[in-house]
Amino acid sequence: MQWRRALGLLPLALLFIAWQVAVELKVYPTVLLPPPAKVADVFVNDWDTLLENAAASLARVVIGIGLSFCVAVPLGLLIGRYRILDMLTDWSIQIFRSVPPISLIPMAILLLGIGDKPAISLIFLSGLWPLLINTIFGVRGIERTLMKVARAARAGEFLVLRDIILPASLPAIFTGLRLAVGAGWLTVVTAEMIAVKSGLGYMILNGQLTFRSDLIIAGIIVIGAIGLLADQLVRLVRARVCRWQEGLTVSSE
Amino acid sequence: MNRFIECVGVGKIFPGKNEAMEALRGIDFVGQEGEFVCLLGRSGCGKSTLLMMMAGLETATSGQIAVAGHEIRGPSSDTAIVFQDHGLFPWMTVQKNVEFNMKARGTPAAQRRETARQFIEMTSLTGFGDRYPHELSGGMRQRVGIARALTTRPKALLMDEPFGALDAQTRGKLQDELLQIWEKQRTTVLFVTHSIDEALLLADRILVFSPRPGRIAADIKVDLPRPRVSQSPGFTALARELRGLVGADREID
Repeated sequence: MQWRRALGLLPLALLFIAWQVAVELKVYPTVLLPPPAKVADVFVNDWDTLLENAAASLARVVIGIGLSFCVAVPLGLLIGRYRILDMLTDWSIQIFRSVPPISLIPMAILLLGIGDKPAISLIFLSGLWPLLINTIFGVRGIERTLMKVARAARAGEFLVLRDIILPASLPAIFTGLRLAVGAGWLTVVTAEMIAVKSGLGYMILNGQLTFRSDLIIAGIIVIGAIGLLADQLVRLVRARVCRWQEGLTVSSE
Repeated sequence: MNRFIECVGVGKIFPGKNEAMEALRGIDFVGQEGEFVCLLGRSGCGKSTLLMMMAGLETATSGQIAVAGHEIRGPSSDTAIVFQDHGLFPWMTVQKNVEFNMKARGTPAAQRRETARQFIEMTSLTGFGDRYPHELSGGMRQRVGIARALTTRPKALLMDEPFGALDAQTRGKLQDELLQIWEKQRTTVLFVTHSIDEALLLADRILVFSPRPGRIAADIKVDLPRPRVSQSPGFTALARELRGLVGADREID
């Protein structure tokens, strides 16, 4: 089945060819649309710049999403478990999750200034909702018999939360984490274009101002590559942590 | 005469959206210690509801239930329950599943392990302690459910159609094993089934339920010697009588 996996590379190869052809046909001047070879050079000559900015963006996402995880998972477990908390928070969650984090950038800058604070706050918010909603969803999905087993055994509330509700929700929590990492990655690039003076978003915007379209395209490639790797990493961790789920679901997704 | 299990005027009404549903009416019954009692009837005749009330998982609308001299007001340590869909935690190994009821009671880890080992052996699961439920056959899963219920040495073992989802061969095997365990442990068993043959193979006494609202239509003592053979004249005579009482074929439903 190896060739089937390689099939995923086909659209990328086509895109690459189209790019090269567009350059050969001089659809745009090379200052605006550089040939692939020139972009490849960026990975050699400007490697330090790429690395430095990628590290800055990654750090923000790791911190921001890390914070969302620490807040959303316990909160989601409790909201899913206690009807009263659900009634208390349901409307708020539905309202705030439909606000695009990008629309909060101006307010974040006014209140928090320029720098890591507004950027990380926005990443935190963009990851909070998918994690929270999926965690709640995970708790709701617990088999009723399992809760009866716990009640019949007179299991204490802490044991129920730790040994039943948390593990039962883990598959859904990981789905939320994948979405959160994706959302956080989108947000960091946008936030860096406006609110911070470092990171891949800043680098790309700067590339526009200095006519370094090769740097812009290299930046986009790095963003895509890190996004892909992050997603694969979360899937890998999920597969390890939820090993017990094998065979329970048709697909591992 | 000991009144080990006692139901006095037990009734249950489920409040519905449009109209209330009366599931049980005027259940009076006294069970002896060590007795194997089958609750037999069509589906929807309230026999499972009665079992859930004995487990303290449902409350009676009227009347009282007492087990081992204690009135049931909620889940009690005098009872343990085995569910039809086994109710195993998919993220716990067999060992951890068997230990769960003890963990809920705060039994120390070392003692839990030892007791679990003992009941894993009794239910022929030795060597499967590290497996996850999804790696087991239906019959083995139900053995785990039985082992878990036995670990706390309940005074009454409540079984809700535990073998209903198994194929005939596995079912027969588990029935034999259950009788062996019961003869060894001498705990009181209340066993819900809709199979006349199963009730006759297992029970000292059969309570036949009739539907809408659920009532005890007959209380039949089974004096046949064990091991029982379903072709014996005594067996077939009783089976014929029971078929008349539940008003259906051999396998009612």
